[in-house]
Amino acid sequence: MTGDGIFFDGITSTRQNVTVTLAGAGLQIMAADGRLLAEWPYHELEELNSPDKVLRLGRHGNAVLARLEILNPTFAAAIDLRADNVDRTGLTQRRQRAGVVGWTVAATASLLVVGYFAVPVIAERATPLIPNAIERKLGEAVDIKLRGMLDTQKSGTAFECGGGAREKAGRAAIEKLVGRLQDAAALPSALQVVVVRRNQANAVALPGSKIYVFDGLIAKADNPDEVAGVIAHEIGHIAHRDGTRSVLQASGLSFLFGIMFGDFVGGGAAVLAAKSVLQSSYTRNVEAAADSYGVALMQKAGGNARALGTMLGKIGGATEPGMKILLDHPETKARIAAINKLAPARATKPMLDAGEWTALKRICAG
Amino acid sequence: MASSYPSRPMISPDISAAAVPGSVRFLGKRRDYWRLLVRGGALLMVTLGIYRFWLATDVRRFLWSNTEVAGESLEYTGTPFELLIGFLMAIAILIPIYAAIFLAALDLGIVGKLSGMLGFVLLALLGQYASYRARRYRLTRTIFRGLRFHQDGSAWRYAFCALFWWTMTTITLGLAYPWQQSRLERFKMRNTYYGDLAGSFEGSAFRLFLRGLPMWLLVVGPLVLAAGALIETVDWLALANVAQQGGDDVFARLEGASPGFGRAIVFAMLMAGVAVFAFALLYPAFQAMVLRWWTSGLRFGDIEVRSQLRTWHIYRAYFRFLWIAILFSIVVSVAAIPAAMLIGSVGDANSSIGKEILATGILLVGYVIVALGYSTIYGATVKLSLWQLGVESLQLSGLAALDRVTATGGPSSALGEGLADALHVGGY
Repeated sequence: MTGDGIFFDGITSTRQNVTVTLAGAGLQIMAADGRLLAEWPYHELEELNSPDKVLRLGRHGNAVLARLEILNPTFAAAIDLRADNVDRTGLTQRRQRAGVVGWTVAATASLLVVGYFAVPVIAERATPLIPNAIERKLGEAVDIKLRGMLDTQKSGTAFECGGGAREKAGRAAIEKLVGRLQDAAALPSALQVVVVRRNQANAVALPGSKIYVFDGLIAKADNPDEVAGVIAHEIGHIAHRDGTRSVLQASGLSFLFGIMFGDFVGGGAAVLAAKSVLQSSYTRNVEAAADSYGVALMQKAGGNARALGTMLGKIGGATEPGMKILLDHPETKARIAAINKLAPARATKPMLDAGEWTALKRICAG
Repeated sequence: MASSYPSRPMISPDISAAAVPGSVRFLGKRRDYWRLLVRGGALLMVTLGIYRFWLATDVRRFLWSNTEVAGESLEYTGTPFELLIGFLMAIAILIPIYAAIFLAALDLGIVGKLSGMLGFVLLALLGQYASYRARRYRLTRTIFRGLRFHQDGSAWRYAFCALFWWTMTTITLGLAYPWQQSRLERFKMRNTYYGDLAGSFEGSAFRLFLRGLPMWLLVVGPLVLAAGALIETVDWLALANVAQQGGDDVFARLEGASPGFGRAIVFAMLMAGVAVFAFALLYPAFQAMVLRWWTSGLRFGDIEVRSQLRTWHIYRAYFRFLWIAILFSIVVSVAAIPAAMLIGSVGDANSSIGKEILATGILLVGYVIVALGYSTIYGATVKLSLWQLGVESLQLSGLAALDRVTATGGPSSALGEGLADALHVGGY
């Protein structure tokens, strides 16, 4: 059987009209003058990228890019029939792609499972292995970034409270309060509690041993034990090394999600959402643990262990996002109930006397 | 069996319609391209993006094989696995670099302060390096008449050159753009070969500059006027004082310090609006102008290219994109109503975590569908049209040279493609 074809020998760009003969073992490609140009065995034939109506053939594994083009569909079908690697239905291609899709879905499932179960466990195990010196360095770096965000640098006032002449008494009061908690906690390194000028009712624990208490928290508190309760909660974070662990967890998740996946339009958002939902699920447990640590510490220090709960009742709610899965703290109501369950109602003496409390209230008076 | 098959059957008019010598044709059907992109988009979503190597290969196979130069179509020989390996190589190189940048940011001294800048410059450089290497990959996977294209030249030299010219273009608010384009294109084409036929680029930067200047004036002019008005009316000393004092009545005190400040702000915003409007309106014309200029400057040995691209064809492509995108938006909005009702019920105090996860999932899938949808529509309208119009508008001369080319050059690795993909600086 013979047919016409167009042949490029792969050495020059000259176009040759040829006659192709389907011999027993392969194609014989002959020039117009009857010269044998090439002989290609069927099993070495390779179908190449071409327009719909052209069958373009090459020799598999040949460094010389010789090409044979068949335009007649019936003749092309005849070649297709003889050569195993020429498959114009695209079945092999489809099978290969189905494999890619199937295994990617499997990999995603395993990624989510690892992200949900294994990353927190690994971070848990790895956190105690991080030396204190490195944790302190990490804390300093986080401190710089955090101060950059929090410190509004209003001229004339320092970011930290307690430096001014009229603030000295307040500073003594907070030091006394922290001193009592620290003695009860018996941490390996000294705490550094700093009151700063911020209106929000909040407190932040950094990796290492530093806690920022926002001015707004003291303003909202009705007694010293409420301030102490929140600080005790933050000491819980430091004792559990939650800051360091969350850095490890975040890095682990970023590694899992950021590199291999999500590199397409809209994928970035999907990855971000998955990450924040997972991360929130980690921290919900961490916050509950810090709450119970705070309750125990308050009891040990002789304060009102339920004060943390009443304080949470005052500041909670306003800052919560609408959805539970995005919440990095457990719901306030559930937290208060848990705290009250841990701490029996007991009459205690306030942790600061009336004079000290008034001074603490004025620590940022300037 | 003594049957014989002629090379020009009656039933394939696309091929048998003799091509005008010197013309370039595009044989692809828009419907096939749509199908390719839509299926690819769906698989991208399912595979979280891994399918992009297959999709990119499919797109190139479609575009290359349907582009016919002097009666013979191009051939793309790259494979998705090469792209995947290139990407993995890029990851191996980039992870330590990202880690180093991250560590540098933690440094307390000068290194930490400069780390953002240094990281940006390093990644920009790497991005240009990648785009040059990626071009080399694409060229060496392009076969025409049994011969390979290839590209020489140091990718690092190109990267430094490109970074320099990008900086110049930024500093001059775009005025240096023609020189950037012509220098970089010259670099690329000087190092590009079809077999042993060397490429070059003859586009004149000054010509592009003269043609582009009116557009530049229409877009940048209003911005300059706005900046001028602000500088004119504002008492900068007072502004500095006010900014330092802070407080709630900043604006009132500013108005007091420099009368007419409010009017200047309104004027500036108006001018910015004019600039944005002019930009959106002129962008297709700009694209057509650059495309015409670029293709007309391409040379391979004695082969010269002339482009007769019509500007309004590019506008038509954008209009097609606009109306399909609007149609798509309407369909999506209607489909989103039941989903929105479900999500609306989530805020309740008594909704469960399971329901929230479901709602989040729906929201996410919806978002991804919308984003992928627009990019698919853009690809099937504007991008395809740019290729098709760009190709079909070409007139080649000196094609006799095509019969005497001999093979040189071998295939290159896909590292550049991988880096470009990881750094988000991909091309076709």
